[in-house]
Amino acid sequence: MSAGAGHRLAVDVGGTFIDYVLLDEQTGEIVVDKEPAFKDEVARQLFVGYDRTAATASASVGRMIHGSTLAINTILQESGAPVGVITTRGFRDVLEIGRGNRVDIYDFFYDPPAALVPRRLRREVTERSGPDGDVILPLDLAELEQEAAFLVRNGVEAIAICFFHAYANPGHERQARDWLAERHPGVFVSCSHEVANEWREYERTSSVVLNAYVMPSVGRYLSDIETGLADRLFAGDFAIMQSNGGVMPPAVAKQVPLRTLESGPAGGVVGAQALAQALGEPNVICSDVGGTSFDVALVHDGSVVERYKTEVNKRPVLAPTADVISIGAGGGSIAWIDDRNALRVGPTSAGARPGPACFGFGGDRPTVTDCNLLLGRLDPDNFLGRRMTLDTAAAEAAVAGVAEQIGMSVLETAGGVIRLAETNMVYAIRQMTVERGHDPRSFVLLAYGGGGGLFASALMEDLEIPRAIVPGNSAVFSAWGLLFADYREDAWVTKVLQVTEDSREEFAGLVSSVADEAREKLAQHGIAGGGETVTARADVRFAGQEHTLIVPIRLGLDRDELAARLKEDFADRHRAQYGQADVTRDLEIVTIRATATATLPHPQLRRTAPGAAAEPRSTREVWFTSAGGRVETAIWSREDLSPGAALEGPAVIEEWNATTLVNPGQTARIDDFENIVISTKGREAP
Amino acid sequence: MTVQVDQIPDVITTAVVQNGLVAAAKEMSTTLERAAYNPLLFELKDYSAVITDAAGRLWAEAPGLIAFITPLPELIRYGVKKFGPDGFEPDDVIIANDPFTTGTHISDTTTYMPIFTEGSLVGFAATTAHWADIGGKTPGGWCPDSIDVFQEGLRFTHQKLYRAGVPDETLHEVIMSNVRLPETVRGDLEAQVAAIRTGAERVQALCTRYGVDMVRAAMVRACDESERSLRAKIAALPDGEYVAEKLMDHDGVEKDLRRLVRVKLTIDGDRVIADFTGSSPRTAGPINLPFQASVGAINAALKSVLAPTDAANDGELRVLEVIAPEDSVVNPSPPAPCDSYGYVFHSLLECGLEALSHIAPERCPAGSGNVFGCFIFRLDPQYGDPFIMIDATTVGWGGRPTGDGPNLIFLLDGDTPNVPGEVIETRYPLRMTRHAWKTDVIGHGMHRGGPGLVREFEMLGDKMFAQAAMENHHSPPAGIDGGLDAPPQQIVMWVGSDREQVFHERFAFVGPLDRGERLRTEAGGGGGWGNPAKREPERVLDDLRNEFVTLEVARETYRVAARAVGDDYELDLAETERLRAEV
Repeated sequence: MSAGAGHRLAVDVGGTFIDYVLLDEQTGEIVVDKEPAFKDEVARQLFVGYDRTAATASASVGRMIHGSTLAINTILQESGAPVGVITTRGFRDVLEIGRGNRVDIYDFFYDPPAALVPRRLRREVTERSGPDGDVILPLDLAELEQEAAFLVRNGVEAIAICFFHAYANPGHERQARDWLAERHPGVFVSCSHEVANEWREYERTSSVVLNAYVMPSVGRYLSDIETGLADRLFAGDFAIMQSNGGVMPPAVAKQVPLRTLESGPAGGVVGAQALAQALGEPNVICSDVGGTSFDVALVHDGSVVERYKTEVNKRPVLAPTADVISIGAGGGSIAWIDDRNALRVGPTSAGARPGPACFGFGGDRPTVTDCNLLLGRLDPDNFLGRRMTLDTAAAEAAVAGVAEQIGMSVLETAGGVIRLAETNMVYAIRQMTVERGHDPRSFVLLAYGGGGGLFASALMEDLEIPRAIVPGNSAVFSAWGLLFADYREDAWVTKVLQVTEDSREEFAGLVSSVADEAREKLAQHGIAGGGETVTARADVRFAGQEHTLIVPIRLGLDRDELAARLKEDFADRHRAQYGQADVTRDLEIVTIRATATATLPHPQLRRTAPGAAAEPRSTREVWFTSAGGRVETAIWSREDLSPGAALEGPAVIEEWNATTLVNPGQTARIDDFENIVISTKGREAP
Repeated sequence: MTVQVDQIPDVITTAVVQNGLVAAAKEMSTTLERAAYNPLLFELKDYSAVITDAAGRLWAEAPGLIAFITPLPELIRYGVKKFGPDGFEPDDVIIANDPFTTGTHISDTTTYMPIFTEGSLVGFAATTAHWADIGGKTPGGWCPDSIDVFQEGLRFTHQKLYRAGVPDETLHEVIMSNVRLPETVRGDLEAQVAAIRTGAERVQALCTRYGVDMVRAAMVRACDESERSLRAKIAALPDGEYVAEKLMDHDGVEKDLRRLVRVKLTIDGDRVIADFTGSSPRTAGPINLPFQASVGAINAALKSVLAPTDAANDGELRVLEVIAPEDSVVNPSPPAPCDSYGYVFHSLLECGLEALSHIAPERCPAGSGNVFGCFIFRLDPQYGDPFIMIDATTVGWGGRPTGDGPNLIFLLDGDTPNVPGEVIETRYPLRMTRHAWKTDVIGHGMHRGGPGLVREFEMLGDKMFAQAAMENHHSPPAGIDGGLDAPPQQIVMWVGSDREQVFHERFAFVGPLDRGERLRTEAGGGGGWGNPAKREPERVLDDLRNEFVTLEVARETYRVAARAVGDDYELDLAETERLRAEV
């Protein structure tokens, strides 16, 4: 595999469309395309768009980066393979018992998630390790054979193995895996420590079961893509996007397909990180306004902020992913009145069909997009590059239904819906920043997705964020972001260890062994020519606490410096988060994590020369939350604006698939990379 | 409170303010959970966070335990009365755990803080959390046999822990020298204070943004709308009187007396009256449920049926009128013992649900397991570091009109996950040897109850003791509409040895358990819903294959005939038809 120049193609498969972004690495030119994603025919459909896009290229495609929703859809639709589970004796019910809590506490009809594997196909074998990794009982291979034979006889396609404390000693899981591979070569096998090397048996079992559940379908799908590429004599590098923002080769993706679960949002976040780096912005709030949801993530100190546990349909997944908070506030989100006469927005969405009322596909419930139209923020005759005319009368009729119920005018109601959507977004951003000890005012707001530019100006005012950036092609920004992904492997291990004089050696040893493991896993990718970096961090707490804070660890320090640094950095983070830190307490590490990255040559963001001065194309009345009503507003076309252009709010900047608002009192300029940069007067950064 | 005409907030401002307060309460909850030192808080989430107005009326809550919803605002109202409206300064922190003002037990310690903006009191931020220990005759709370509140631990009757931000060192010292795990308690207390400070800051920011008067007026409106909405739902129910009652096992002290909890629920237009007349007098042992929580139990039942997912606020708490006999088990006077209050709370809540089931049968499940849990502890340092492991166990829930019951944490708790075995083994000298369904305690029915649960531990050290919380021995989770009652729970000590002993009722300080000896908790199942002979044979076959029922139970109880074929089963439909025709 090589990272040859020529063309780089990002293919992002979403719920309804496949997005293609083709980059000419010589010229920096970009071609954007779309193809519908039909269920069960994605692999075939993918190549329809591939062939069309590749035909525009002057040279062959040297790298294809693929973001796929197959794993998450298989889980959401519960259409995975029959799985069998093998556990330590005494624990086959862990998967079904779960954690026993109910999230809606007054709902006495709360249903926990049904176990993906029925009890009959959950089998136990004698074996046991302790929390320190000591073997208490050896693995009984005769029992293993008996139980595996039962599972195979009963039609399982994949077997998930989860043994107690396997994160501390994976020996028995490996032994069982190798043994099964030999005896039952046709069956997919997945071990818990390979998927999630950390404690909490339910969450780890859930993760390995989900992995096994999607292994057969993802494996077949990726093989189909590989075949299609081979048919086209594709000699480049084929890389699969992971939830953590890095890519991996197809062989790894087939083994741990669970890692592709959140590849969609990850693309946007990686793009944000790349753009932030080019702009010299260390801290970025990534806000993605799509059709059904508003997703917010962070880049802090140049790195994507991650989390290590997510949930899909109430089922936990342990894996590093970009930390994304998602709320039901997108363009298609429906406004409604609850039985307390309170106005609500979302989480129900009109989706693509019937869609907002103004789309004219038969939708009759008022959506955020309908309100934006009525408020003059969207031009009914200039939507999606005039591919579509919006029906203002239908939008008005839909909003009027709600307006009547609360005794407000249609326009006031539409303004209220937008204001409510804005405040819901503000609370999501607060949760992402303030609750994690970050001041949103020290971030820049990056707005993308089809509706990002419609909300950026209001969000930055509410949160007192000095600047917002709306990138070019903001509607396909997530696909564009895939172009910047590097190869990445994570290694991690849970080891509860108090950091004292006596344990510093052990701590330092653990750090270097986890870092080595990440490096070795990456080396197995066989990526040539990538500059390799390894970073590490630890989940740390005061001894006696349970919850941890993530503290970066510098590699290459001696054991005393390592411990001293850790203590200092942890105390800083604890103070930032909770307002205090009792430094007399001992520190305890829980999990050590390392990331190895093989940096691929990134596409260079190109600066564009300033062009001719531009004028607005027209004016119309547009409603602004901050103005509390409609004001006469200049309408600009984005294609008229080149670097150096500056304008004052109130203004609307229209492009073929996105619209950006500039509030009264704000200014906007086009930077050298053709981003729109919005600032609030009197709050400009130095 | 008077609202000036020009400050009637619109629907949108009201929603924005209310969402802001809920977000603030949730942030308090996150802060507490993440900074805590006590597994009851960070794993079991045995706490709640609320924001009230200056008079102690509920503005927003981040729910943890349902038991706290009514008592917390009541407690703040008590504080306002004690100190007077001018008796607070910015950055005061008040501490309270007196059951007769908090409503639950002495382990649930509340800290609250006045919120000032522009020099005037706008409200309070409060958190209640179960402390790792509060002194008293048994560790960790839930004493099964105390005879007055003084035996149960250190009691705070609304003292200022901080005055204008300055800690009262004497009070801190008194606390730390009277609890068994002072380091843990100190950490948890810091976390509680950090949480209420966070809440206060968020409310202040909201007031700065929208103006104090607007925030107040918006919440007056939001609460009024909640009340109006709930009353409209009540008015739609048929008028009438509905009675439910439950017998308790015993009070822990007078073990031969069966105590009664009784609720008469009257729906009269848009009013609901809960009358507890007929409930037993205050008991000698600690199952007494202070008045505020008794009201809370019925409020929770109403909310679950009428508005389970709406954000709770004062408006929802106004519709219920309560008549509770003086000095009874549901309205005890000091110094009644209350440490095991949860059993009566659970029974009262189930009575409320049962009474409502006559009105809304589609919303009523069969009986579920009461509070169940086990403490394993070692307090003598000569045998190792002292610890108290509190294991609240999930129990079988009743079958439902819509399907089988699950196995979840008992009704009293809520968003309270169990503690993983891998965490327990890392933290305590214990080895978990089993965590599995217990299927012989299922209450069978057309929709069967949830299974029970086994958790078994081997001791990795010497001189450990156990204490257990349980109920349901004499009053099992009841079946409904022909469904069967569920057999109850038990705890087995010294498992498999010649000392093996089975406990069906709660106990304190049993031991010692030494290295290699085992203790097993076996939570009971849930009651059945509907006649088991009406369950579809295919579902019974499924239960056979998954070992939730045996061939014998299938035949005798479900009237389904099946036979084993290899390692599988198949139905005999002709024989099933014949069996079912017999009934």
